[in-house]
Order: sequence, then C-alpha cells, then structure tokens
Amino acid sequence: MHYTFNWSLIFSGNYGQWFLDGLVITLQLSGLSIFFALLLGTLLTIMRLSDFKPLVWFSVGYIEFFRNTPLVVQIFFWYFGSDPILPDFFKQWLYQQNIEFATGVIALSTYTAAFIAEELRSGILSIPKTQLEASRATGLTFLQAMSYVILPQAFRIVIPPLISQFLNLIKNSSLAMTIGVMELTYMARQVEAHTFHGFEAFTVATLMYLSLSLLVSLGITQYNKKCLRVGYQ
Amino acid sequence: MLKMWKMPVLLLIASLFMVLSTAHAGKLDEIKARGALVAGVKDSQPPFGYVDENSRQIVGFEPDLCAALAKKLGVKLELKPITSSTRIPMLEQGAIDLIAGTLTHQIAREEKIDFSITYFPAVQKLLVKADSGINSVADLAGKKVGSAKGSTSEQNIKNAQPDCTVVSFETYPEAFLAMKQGKVVAVTTDAPILLGIRNSDDNPDDWIIVGEDIAAEPYGIGVPENDSKFRDFVNITLMEMWRSGEYQALYDQWFGEQTKFHIPLNWTMELWP
Repeated sequence: MHYTFNWSLIFSGNYGQWFLDGLVITLQLSGLSIFFALLLGTLLTIMRLSDFKPLVWFSVGYIEFFRNTPLVVQIFFWYFGSDPILPDFFKQWLYQQNIEFATGVIALSTYTAAFIAEELRSGILSIPKTQLEASRATGLTFLQAMSYVILPQAFRIVIPPLISQFLNLIKNSSLAMTIGVMELTYMARQVEAHTFHGFEAFTVATLMYLSLSLLVSLGITQYNKKCLRVGYQ
Repeated sequence: MLKMWKMPVLLLIASLFMVLSTAHAGKLDEIKARGALVAGVKDSQPPFGYVDENSRQIVGFEPDLCAALAKKLGVKLELKPITSSTRIPMLEQGAIDLIAGTLTHQIAREEKIDFSITYFPAVQKLLVKADSGINSVADLAGKKVGSAKGSTSEQNIKNAQPDCTVVSFETYPEAFLAMKQGKVVAVTTDAPILLGIRNSDDNPDDWIIVGEDIAAEPYGIGVPENDSKFRDFVNITLMEMWRSGEYQALYDQWFGEQTKFHIPLNWTMELWP
C-alpha cells in the first residue's frame, strides 16, 4: 500500500463546490425524470386497461421494449442514435440548448415509466372490479372513474414499490455522465482526475447518494404514514 | 486447532510479510518473473493506439514502442486498453506495468506516478468544421466544446476560455461524433490526436485543425512511483531507439508522408551522454 489518505484535499479549493454542483444537477435530473416518469407511467397504465385494443397493444409493446433493453443503450440511442431521424431546422435549435441534460431526462423517464406502469397496473387490479363497474353505473366516464375512484386508491397501494423505482431512478441518473451531463458521479470523477484521490472522491459521492436515497425513502414513508394512513393501521 | 483470536493475528502477520516482500521486488524483476510486460495503451486513438479493422488487434505507434521495450527485456508483450480517466489508477493499482497512452507529463501527476523522458511533443489545438468560421479559442465564447474525461485538454480549455461549455465524453471519437451531429462546435485535444480523428473520417476535408497552441502536451511513458530502476530502463531504451534510428523508423511507419497521419519529425529527443 502506497496510498496516503487525504480527506481535507477533497474539500479544499473548488472541489467541495464541484460536489455540490453535481448534487444539484443530480437532484434536478432525478426530480424532473420522476415527474415525467409518473405522468407517462400513469398514461401507459390507463391505455393498457382501456377497452380500445390498439392502445393496449401500444402500451404492452412500449413496456416490454423499454423494460428489456439496457438503460445505457437507450441513453446512447437518444443522444447519438436519434440524430439522423430529426429534422434539420429542429436540430439546429435543439443542439444549442442543454441537449445532454434533456436527453438524460428523456431517457430516465421513458425507461422508468415502463416499470411504474407495471406497478401501477398491479395496484389498480387489486381494487375490486366492482368499484369500476359501480362508478360507470353512476354515470362516470372511464377516465372519470379512473381519476376519481380507482387511481387515488391504487397510488396509495403502490407507494412502497414506487419508492424503489424512485431510488432506482436516482441511482440510474449517474449513467447520464456517459453523455457529459455534469451530475454527481461525473463530478466525483473530475475531482479524482484532478487530485488522483479516487478513494476519497468516490466515498464522498457514495455518502451523498446514500443520504439522498435515505431521505427520499424516509420522506415518502413518513408522508404515507402521517397523511395517507394506509398500510400501517 | 487454531484458537479464534489467533486467526486475525496470523493474517496480519502474513499480510505484513506480503507487503514487505513486494515492496522490495522492483518492477523489472516482477516483469521478468512473470515473463510478460503488461502495457496500458489507447484502443480508439489512431495512430497512437487503436483496434485494427482486419486483425481485431490493438495496433499503433505506442503498442510498437511497448513491443520494443518488451523485446529488450526478453519477455512477451500484453496490451491492456485504457482510457484517459482509468490509466493512472490502473498503473497505481499494478494492473498495468506502464502507460503508453498519449499521457501528458504534468507536474500535478508526479504526485502519483513517475514519467519517462518525452517521446512525443504534442500541442493542444481545436478541430472544427471547415466552414464553421471558428479560428481561435476566442471564437468559442458561449459555444459548446467537446473533450474527453480526465484529460489535460479538458482542464486547459476551461482555463483558456472560461466562457465556453465543455462537454466531456469517454473517448475522443465520441466527442467527434457529437461534433458531426452539431452538438458541439469544436473538439479540443492534442493536434496529433485531432489529426488522427480527422483523417479517419470518410470526408477528412470537411474538418480543419485551427487555433493557437492552447497548451504544450509532452507525452511521457507513465511508470510506477519510486521505482528508478524501471524508469532508467525505459528512458535508456527510448534513447537507444532514437540513436539507432529505430524510433525514427517506427515514427515513419505511423506518421510518415505515406501515411494518413503525416506529421513531420522536427524535434529531437532528450539524449543523455
């Protein structure tokens, strides 16, 4: 062992700021992706449970496709592979923007939506079918019955598995560094490249991910317990 | 039967013994005992080190330099692919015996590893689209520039043009692809690497190398810290190769006029009497 540990180095100069910058990007990336993933996942579930067959086929196809291909391949596809199929005028505008970050959000939310859709579906299926039938009998449309009666109950049931999906998404967001998004893992590697102290740099990143995940997990569980009062009676 | 408390003590003694024994054996003895020199080289950076389309083997100027070192030692050569961000940790951990992968000799890097004399003096430039109108670092203000993670070029460009956004990829070909798609307006790194990327393209004339010398990038072979015998061996072999003309022949093979990557040989290696 010729390694000298130097913990103060990690927080000297700008390195501490780099870690914080990375953490902020990770939070933005994960927050936006969770929002869109939930939205898209819900939509996919409703499509899957509808009576209109083409929508069901689309939903099944989407879920199987996105669940069964590696996320990093999807990220590369969105970033490098989508170029030839985009129209030129749109590309010129798009590439001036923060396309790396946007690609990260698109890849993470489309990927996670497939998993969320499956969990939400199992939640909805656990609500007795008679509730939907009763709602429809009172004159509600399919969408109204879903949004007022079924979904509010289903969401509560699937909160624990949803937490796992959120945590997975936060951890998966580190893959965005492969296309140059300066999130936490990227910054940890930057610090490592500048200081050559990989052990310290990645320990700091590990602790940051761990505390973030624990906070999210704890926050949702507490909200669940205090405000929704489900599953804990 | 061993008592439970004895196990940790014995393990401790055993590991101390191993640490002590490896600390005294130099890299040279280790390589000879193993019968192979394990060299870390680039695998996507023509002509320094890249995978040959036909043979599927890593070839290039740097693998050939390593082959000469292995030949001198009378051992066989084993090549391991490295990237800009993995090479120094890999050398430190002993996964490779040396780095011959466009590694700039930097004082900051001396803290972790040692370097041979310079075997290739590069300078950092910009590669841009021929009709982009970008001629210097000043033109990059407010634009996005591609580079590779953990490289010196990435650090230099941020200092030279604080007003640009640097997007860093794993390798330079990825950065080049991003430029071809218009996601970044320039790729910056050492001129010979840029020339290699440009001339590997289907239409090399679409791209030009421009700009002032952003930084000097003298390449040295990275060797483990505090092993002067091994470093002497590498240095002396490099100088012998220069004196015998072997270096020039190798250089001509990869950078000569008949190649796609022509760079005139207009410098002299540091030669100790």
